[in-house]
Amino acid sequence: MKSFARSGVLGLVCAFIAAPAYAADVSTGPCGFCVLWDWIPFILNGFALNVVISILAMMLALVLGIGLGLMQISESKLASVPARFVTQLLRNAPWIVILFMIMSLIPYRIEVQGWGNFILSDWIKATFAFSLPVMANVSEILRGAVASVPKGQWESAESLAFSRGQSLRWIILPQCVKQMIPHLMNWFALLVLATPLASIIGVREAVGSAQAAMESAGSSPTLLIPFYFFLMMIFFIFIYPVAIWSRRLERNYAINS
Amino acid sequence: MRKLVSTLCSGVLSAVLSAGLLAVPAHASGDHMKEVLDRGTIRIGVLGALKPWAYRSEDGNMQGFDIDLASRIAESLGVDLELVEVTSVNRMEFLQQGRVDMLLAGMYDKAERRKIIGIVEPAYGASGPSLMAKKGLISSWDDIKGKPVCAKQGVIYNSIAETEFGATVVAFTGNAEAKEGLRSGKCVAWFYDDTIILPELASGEWDGYEMPVEALNSNPIGAAVAIEEQDGALGVFLSGMIYRWHSDGTFLELEEKWKVGPSSWYAKEHEKLHWDTSYLVSE
Amino acid sequence: MDAILTLIAPFFRDLYETTGINFNVFYDPYQFKRFLIGAENSILLILAAILLSVIVGVAGAAIQQSRSTWLRWLVGGYIQLFRNTPPMVQLLFFYFGLGAYAPQVDMGGYYQPMVSAFGWAVIALGIFGGAFNVEIFRSGIEAVPKATLEAAESLGFKPWQTFVYFTLPLAFRICLPALTTNLVSLAKTTSLAYVISVPEMANMLNQVWSSTFNIPEMMAVLFCFYVGVVWLLAAFLHWLERRLRLRGYSK
Repeated sequence: MKSFARSGVLGLVCAFIAAPAYAADVSTGPCGFCVLWDWIPFILNGFALNVVISILAMMLALVLGIGLGLMQISESKLASVPARFVTQLLRNAPWIVILFMIMSLIPYRIEVQGWGNFILSDWIKATFAFSLPVMANVSEILRGAVASVPKGQWESAESLAFSRGQSLRWIILPQCVKQMIPHLMNWFALLVLATPLASIIGVREAVGSAQAAMESAGSSPTLLIPFYFFLMMIFFIFIYPVAIWSRRLERNYAINS
Repeated sequence: MRKLVSTLCSGVLSAVLSAGLLAVPAHASGDHMKEVLDRGTIRIGVLGALKPWAYRSEDGNMQGFDIDLASRIAESLGVDLELVEVTSVNRMEFLQQGRVDMLLAGMYDKAERRKIIGIVEPAYGASGPSLMAKKGLISSWDDIKGKPVCAKQGVIYNSIAETEFGATVVAFTGNAEAKEGLRSGKCVAWFYDDTIILPELASGEWDGYEMPVEALNSNPIGAAVAIEEQDGALGVFLSGMIYRWHSDGTFLELEEKWKVGPSSWYAKEHEKLHWDTSYLVSE
Repeated sequence: MDAILTLIAPFFRDLYETTGINFNVFYDPYQFKRFLIGAENSILLILAAILLSVIVGVAGAAIQQSRSTWLRWLVGGYIQLFRNTPPMVQLLFFYFGLGAYAPQVDMGGYYQPMVSAFGWAVIALGIFGGAFNVEIFRSGIEAVPKATLEAAESLGFKPWQTFVYFTLPLAFRICLPALTTNLVSLAKTTSLAYVISVPEMANMLNQVWSSTFNIPEMMAVLFCFYVGVVWLLAAFLHWLERRLRLRGYSK
């Protein structure tokens, strides 16, 4: 693990040194890294929106996903069959397809009787779209975790006169939480890495900001490598600690159980 | 960093607001001008990445041809200017919802749009699809037959290049990428509006490139207010401003300033709308 | 393919004329061609990216068995870099950033790059998916019983022969469940090739709905296409998993 962390950082350092040298020798045009320097605050501002979108989408996905997961493990076919269907459907659809669908099929304004009008700006719709695949996977993680609890636990709960709901609430689910956390963190990382897709539909997050910045700076080819490389770096710096942490939790869980 | 944190907070806050509290006030027709004056701010919708019409500077501020027009409008009304970034997809809805008071967003004046929003006359620009290519490579529209042309996804006239001229459209998500596609030789030409191509050429970043063909057609570009305001104070005011800019040479001046290109359209309109005051010279 | 169109066209034209539901990709020959191009490119892209990612995964896992610390670090850095950055930005980086330096062929005025957008998509997605595969194969290799390998060595096999003939096939079968999950997720990720103008399904259907405004219908086609293809792939890989399951080796 430690060597992984070290080697990852080392690789980055090498790439950082190599990239400008590579970019400098080919085309004519302004020095890309110098232009990038001026635009860094602008791009970081955009990145703040990536962070906001991922956090909101994750919270939404957790709430919806746990609900969907509980429906999946319900004994009533009426609840479990549709929940299973929705889970599988959204797990198998690419992010970009879900994003397109939400963007074009949900209106820009929603009228709720007695509540007034709600404006759904593009980034809010994108947040909702991103939460759907995560929701489906949270649902599946929950189902898997509950299924992994030994049958004996259910039986002994039953012998203590716990109802199904009670055993789930007090005995089964608490055991699942610890096992679920690394998976959930992993999905949070995947969610963050998917947020640049919002730029396709005009949301001015980090990638959209970088593209607008390149446009304003004259869209010279020398800008491309520095700007896209910088984008990769800010995501890396944000996500890498999450990845390390979730692995550590996963390993701890594996050791303890 | 502080800016980052504040954006983060305001982002969360606005999410909460828009999810729960933000209701849109409905406008009674005709009194919009009074509302703008009472508010002391006019909100004008502009596009965000359309150099040199409306684009971001390094500090994140908007600038460009349309932005200059917007600030002149605010100045004339004696109110503050609030620029709202819109996209070609949501701009009409922004106006309908009252999130902006006016649109200066490079919008073609089309019959189906006039049913929804109040596009005012005269037009403040005109534009049509054209090509940008390496010098000497293309001399007529027929030269793109069987070759790849770079374009932006979702542009309404893209299929014309395929159906009428037999080209292959290589569609990118944005103009920045489409232009990079042209620059790195992934297509023989960039297929887009002449009012965008000419300023690109004038920017000095495209040595050895040209716009070898005339635009296929010329669509007037309209500024707009909400439909019930078309004949109200705000619509008539905007109409008058645009007329003034044509007649007093403001457009010609801005055309020069933003290197929008040597298009004859503004000169022609200036000629047409300029009031001949020679009769005042009584000799 | 034309035969298929003539078969289904009357139904969909009738549907449009009676209900206004416009699946023009299934009756208009021009739009049908776009649909076919999109389907072909999407499926080829999925297959090519999977193939390359498995090759990269095997190569990376082999290098990680090597004694050189430097090589192991390099592979480790590669894995972390590509796992923890957005695949969409990786595609843009490869296509626009590195694509500018790729060799080109003069096509009489304009330059056709030797590596097309499709080619860059395969490379970028293969490398992205490979970063996950290396770790999957590594864990598979580590799970191969040491005794088996010692037995192979004692039969006179050289280390590389042991790796190719014993370790790899066993590791492959051990790690197949994890590999399935990753390859299915890679198949979904291939739809990102949209952003670098690869004429895959989303790109082609976007061109359709931009000109004929039948957005909901084309969304339905897009959704069903990807869900269907991903489902087929998953079904095939699960079948393979069952076929190749090692007896007495279930975790």
